[in-house]
Amino acid sequence: MFSSKKPTTMNSHERPLCVQGDSGLVLTTDPKPRLRWTVELHDRFVDAVTQLGGPDKATPKTIMRVMGVKGLTLYHLKSHLQKFRLGKQPHKEFNDHSKDAAALDMQRNASSSSGIMGRTMNDRNTHITEAFRMQMEVQRRLHEQLEVQKSLQMKIEAQGKYMQSILEKACQSLAAGDAAESYRLGFNNHLSFPSLQDLHLLGPTQLDMPHDDTFYAAGEANVCLGKKRPNPYGNPSGKSPMMWADATTAACMGTQEAPSKSDQLQISPAVNGGLDMESIMDAYEPKPILDKGSAKLHERPSPLSTPERLMQTRNLSYG
Amino acid sequence: MEVAMDGMMEMDKFGCGFAIDGELGWSSWSPGIDWEYFPAADDFHGLIESMISDGADRGGYGLPEFCDGSVTVSASSTNTPNTPTEELATVGTVDDEMGLRLVHLLIAAAEALTGVQKCPELAHVILARLKELLARGGESSMERLAAYFTDALQGLLDGGRQQEDPPPNPGELLKAFHLLQGMSPCVKFGYLTANQAIVEAVTDQRRVHIVDYDIAEGAQWASLMQALVTRKDGQSPPLPPPHLRITAVTRCGAGRRSVATIHDTGRRLAAFAASVGLSFSFGQCRLDSDEQFRPAAVKLFKGEALVLNCVINPPHLPRRSAVSVRSFLASAPSLGARLVTVVEEERGGGKGDEGRGFVGLFMAELQRYSAIWDSLEARFPMQGRARGVVDRLIMGPRITEAVETAYRRREEGSVALEGWGKWLEAVGFGRVVLSFFNLCQAKLLLGLFDDGYRVEEEAPNKLVLCWKNCSLLSVSVWSAPPPSPPSPSPSPSPSEASFPKHSSI
Repeated sequence: MFSSKKPTTMNSHERPLCVQGDSGLVLTTDPKPRLRWTVELHDRFVDAVTQLGGPDKATPKTIMRVMGVKGLTLYHLKSHLQKFRLGKQPHKEFNDHSKDAAALDMQRNASSSSGIMGRTMNDRNTHITEAFRMQMEVQRRLHEQLEVQKSLQMKIEAQGKYMQSILEKACQSLAAGDAAESYRLGFNNHLSFPSLQDLHLLGPTQLDMPHDDTFYAAGEANVCLGKKRPNPYGNPSGKSPMMWADATTAACMGTQEAPSKSDQLQISPAVNGGLDMESIMDAYEPKPILDKGSAKLHERPSPLSTPERLMQTRNLSYG
Repeated sequence: MEVAMDGMMEMDKFGCGFAIDGELGWSSWSPGIDWEYFPAADDFHGLIESMISDGADRGGYGLPEFCDGSVTVSASSTNTPNTPTEELATVGTVDDEMGLRLVHLLIAAAEALTGVQKCPELAHVILARLKELLARGGESSMERLAAYFTDALQGLLDGGRQQEDPPPNPGELLKAFHLLQGMSPCVKFGYLTANQAIVEAVTDQRRVHIVDYDIAEGAQWASLMQALVTRKDGQSPPLPPPHLRITAVTRCGAGRRSVATIHDTGRRLAAFAASVGLSFSFGQCRLDSDEQFRPAAVKLFKGEALVLNCVINPPHLPRRSAVSVRSFLASAPSLGARLVTVVEEERGGGKGDEGRGFVGLFMAELQRYSAIWDSLEARFPMQGRARGVVDRLIMGPRITEAVETAYRRREEGSVALEGWGKWLEAVGFGRVVLSFFNLCQAKLLLGLFDDGYRVEEEAPNKLVLCWKNCSLLSVSVWSAPPPSPPSPSPSPSPSEASFPKHSSI
């Protein structure tokens, strides 16, 4: 439907490339093609809306019929109409300010030229306050969810520390010193969860969960964190252990995988859990295999020795 | 229904036909089972369908990936003995056939153990066949699960376990428990939801007293302590964190080891509380010799907000009797508890008409553990060592217990599948609404795990953790009814008649 004949860049400095379809619609070339509401298209939209008696009377279906633009779907019109009703400008993050002003002017002109200025302005005011209220509500919700997230993080950390303290003692009573040590190492990773940003903010979303074998293989690399003794009741070096382990895990995970995963903010912590299982088991096995484990300690280069990599992944995961 | 073949031995007193060739070889054995015979056939169909659709989603669960309806385990039509396996043979791999066949056999064995026509010899035969199939086949996830169930059934058949496995090293068990916490959100979901409800219920209290039914190693309380220390109660300056007192309910006459364990738990909790800056004290209270809880055993102080916490059947501990749990919950009114939190297992996968005797309960357990298996397999394939430890130390014993319990309660009908919620309501406990914060937290927690997990608000006071369509665990929060006026009996309790007869949970 939206075949792109010739790529036409609107502005050379704008990041999303736009292509002119044969229907006359302009679409961006990012992974999800989005419709760009150009000035002309918006004009036609406004005309259609006023023809139908204003934004309240018009429905996406009727607008579509009146506009008669090929390739325009109800979804496009629905969202654009909603924004129009609330008095917002479309795509304000892509347009520069001049365009914004132009759009606003356009709206004002449109409503004044149709002769229903008074009513539209009043509607706009109530719409604006309503939009404001909605926005406050959304912000409140987001804030609350952020609170939940923070408290959840603290609780999980607390429980993790507690479990670690118990298991340390259990381990110490079983095996010699460095067995407990490497077990602890495995644990510190296992108990850490990825950074705050990686937790889902707004309810269940489909996680991108490849069932890679590399995930499990990389688990063994976690043992290579060096002999740093994690303090069970405090944060080492003041950093959140979650970020640290996340970065190191990402760094351990291999060359290309790590950056892309951090980019998408979609590292599932369960992946970490999966990774760490094997490292825990590695450390947990009795002495003979432990030697193999400690051999691994020296084999893999410690990710802490590649600080740029670390910084890179950490920055990326901040999004 | 019966297969007429040469050299065949028919055992038709059960309605099953076996094809066994001359040398008693089992190589081409097809169970010609008359599914009409099984009252639970419809539920079985549902079970198979749900397992199949899971397999279709995932493409590797071990069951054939055909669309619903093509496996007709129909109760209505007369079955030719080769129907199920013929259909299976045309689709899927050897593994898929195996999975379905194992389930068939397990249910047949269960039926043979307690059906209308009990036939222990048949059960024996079926179990032997199962073991042979399992020994022969490769190790797939389904097979391991079937192996545990087979062992459990064998235990029933033998009337008491012949080989008493040595009780696992508690250190090992603890490690397995810790691994399980990382693999499945069940444990954390229970703890965090209950804790959040507790925190919300005691916001402006200066002293909090929690009586914990099964404290184990006290893992639940670390996050509660953290939450109490950082609570925001909307006052300025914010109130100092309350004094927390935890009383652990212990079994009477327990060995020296478990007493030491409780002391250890107390010490560790105290150390942790000190590390977060919470004033804390710890105590014990013993159950009676018959495992009943007597309210008088708990030391109460004035001005305390009392909370009863009851995590029923934690995965790394053996089961407690229902009588014991009931006595604990029933003491809430007389103790003046402000809040009662209950974390319990759910068996809500099926259509609700499974409570028909042992087979129904068995199938419910099979379904529940299949869901758990599926959820673990999603991220932690069974070849992993960690998974192996968890399976061996936790899942295996739990499955055995579950089957034994199902057997003991087979006469109870559908009551056996009800949770404690129904009983609490019947006895007059009120529902305490769970907050949006709590629900949000649960969803966020699940976001850390596989996206097959879901949390549902089944009732305003109950959150249920589900894997796909199967409920696994629920947390419900209750307020105790006002104590009944003092009566001649030492501890006032509602009339026994209103209790459902849980012989064991």
